Amino acid sequence: MSFQARYRMIGYQFLIPTFLVLLLVVAMPLLFSLVLSMFRYTFLSPRLNEFVGFSNYASVVHDQYFWNSVKVTFLFVLMVVPLEFFIGYGIALMLSRPEIRFKSIFYFILTIPMVMSPVAVGLIWRMLLHPELGVVNYLLGKLGFGYVNWFGDERLALFTVTLVDVWQQVSFMVLLLLSGITSLPKEPFESATIDGANWLQTLLFVKTPLLMPIITVALLQRVITSFKTYDLVYILTSGGPGVSTDLISYNIYRTTFMGLDLSVASAVSYMLLIVILAITVVIFRSTMKGNE
Amino acid sequence: MKKRGLFVCVLVVCLLVPLSVFGAGSKEADAGKPVTLNLLMEDVPDTQIIKDMLPEFEAKTGIKVNFEIVQYTDMHTKLITQFLAPTSTYDVIEVDNYWAGEFPAAGWLEPLDEYVKKDNFDMSVYVPAMMEMVGYYKDKLYMIPMYNYTMALMYRNDVFTDKALHDKYRKQFGKDFAPPVSLDEYVEQCIFVQENTNMYGSAMQGGKGDPIAMEWSNYFFALGGRIYDDNWKATINGPIALKAIELYKKNIAQGAPAGATSYTLEDSLRMMSAGEAFSFISYNWMLAQFQDEKVSKLKDKVQLVPVPGESGLAGGWGWAIAANTPKKDAAWEFIKWVESPAVVKARALAGGAPTRYDVLRDAEVLAKYPYYSEVEKILEKARPVPEFEYSSQMVEMLGRELSLIVSSGKDPQVALAQLEKDFNELAKKANLQK
Repeated sequence: MSFQARYRMIGYQFLIPTFLVLLLVVAMPLLFSLVLSMFRYTFLSPRLNEFVGFSNYASVVHDQYFWNSVKVTFLFVLMVVPLEFFIGYGIALMLSRPEIRFKSIFYFILTIPMVMSPVAVGLIWRMLLHPELGVVNYLLGKLGFGYVNWFGDERLALFTVTLVDVWQQVSFMVLLLLSGITSLPKEPFESATIDGANWLQTLLFVKTPLLMPIITVALLQRVITSFKTYDLVYILTSGGPGVSTDLISYNIYRTTFMGLDLSVASAVSYMLLIVILAITVVIFRSTMKGNE
Repeated sequence: MKKRGLFVCVLVVCLLVPLSVFGAGSKEADAGKPVTLNLLMEDVPDTQIIKDMLPEFEAKTGIKVNFEIVQYTDMHTKLITQFLAPTSTYDVIEVDNYWAGEFPAAGWLEPLDEYVKKDNFDMSVYVPAMMEMVGYYKDKLYMIPMYNYTMALMYRNDVFTDKALHDKYRKQFGKDFAPPVSLDEYVEQCIFVQENTNMYGSAMQGGKGDPIAMEWSNYFFALGGRIYDDNWKATINGPIALKAIELYKKNIAQGAPAGATSYTLEDSLRMMSAGEAFSFISYNWMLAQFQDEKVSKLKDKVQLVPVPGESGLAGGWGWAIAANTPKKDAAWEFIKWVESPAVVKARALAGGAPTRYDVLRDAEVLAKYPYYSEVEKILEKARPVPEFEYSSQMVEMLGRELSLIVSSGKDPQVALAQLEKDFNELAKKANLQK
């Protein structure tokens, strides 16, 4: 065996532990849930003795409440990700200015919501936004605004969940984008200033394109986690009123732990996985293509 | 080549050995070592009461008890994952009546008949309705009734003594303003109070899922409705359910806070405790909270009566032993202690919700909580949700459709037809309906 071949072989040997761990914690559960989705397997009868093919998938697509969950989830992602991006980018731009003092205090405050558990966030906001006893409606009333039924009005409930999610997750966007902005090279900005570019032109044609790899990562991360949002809905609305906040992950939870049906839950999970993968590829390709 | 094979083998063993060690369940209390029981408990007053009494049990038996206190909504998920593991972390199980069909059917609970027989544990003191609900499953004893949360009507009695209000009511309806004798009259009074005082008529719990399903079931049962017949054929789609929906919708729209469509039991209790509401249909144990001057200004101002009509919704918890715990004897010791007459009486005096006649009728208990005589009647009369493998899913479906009706304007007839179809499918899935 040549030196190069042996060198490569040693490299492969070092990869084996990682590969085995990945196989154990990622590939095997994925494969197992794919198998489950094609059998009739429930908590009451946890046996793989009845192969049903794609009939679990068929029962999912014939369920009107599944399609409602798909619609609500897309609406949620479409509201939450742009809102978090624009607010986060705005704050990051402000905090990146050299004249801003006491930055560490801002960083500390921004980190707090991010490290809180979504359950705690949900419980706090449920109290604050309590329609009759909450502080927010009390203050709005003092300022002359009308009564707001934050969680009980089906036209408003999804928007309320979105606002709470933005409150918690925008810090992630700020910190990620801020780290990107502070690590940008100075030369392109000096050239732009010499060429007479104003603040907006510098932002749109220099800073944002240079930040595109970071923006891609931030957007991808938030799109993926938004699709999987479950705990906030669980605490704030239980998917209601009606089915107005019934996100797909909450639908999976109900199918698993109330319906006790792991097969159908696996089928829905696989469908969600495919959608997230497809969107990830689209975002990745479009942003990276633009960057090139 | 051999060396490479060995390298791979060593790696695999290194990965799998720690996993197998961590994966192995804890063995039955090793001889000589103190046993620790783990219990998953709901965050309700009775849990705190028992927790405060645990040193007595630990001193008596040498068995340590560890409570993990969580919200109700977290319990089912946590329990199921433990039941599916080779060994359960939780040894003694608190079983809600929603799960009283599911857990024994799945084989997750240890039958208790032998334990009861061996220790001559007196089961005759328990209210028969509680035994049916959280005791037996298919004629086998799996649970010992622990706690009741049967629902009742609670109202502010000072509202009925307001002369101006009384006169106004008499003028409007041509009858005395007195505690309601029918569901129609109750709804009428809630709307009247909301229109004529600065209080809401009813602190309703119209949040999606379990809250609205439980509250509405009182309306349905009060009017004589049943979810399934004796042959497990769904009977929800009919005139009684329509009438119950009509009254419920009317009350939540005109006799309750606007936010009630998202309320849970905690929200309703908060509204009632804050003196914001005239009444609510809720869990009878809440009355003890109002009697506590430290946390409530409503001492002696709230009256408890059965839900006006045929019956209200029964609810309760039972003690059980996980089938996959190695500490079954210690678990039974705990159940025996916590359900002993002295401990149950002490729990009741501290505000618990007893399930035994001897405690419900105890002179000292009755002196402190005179309404327990009323609770006894309510327990005997109330009806639980049908108990079978898919009770939780049935309640979730009911809650979804009711929430759609009150919040999204779904046609009640369409919703009831959907429920009839879904409930029949659940009964078929559980092999109850041929």
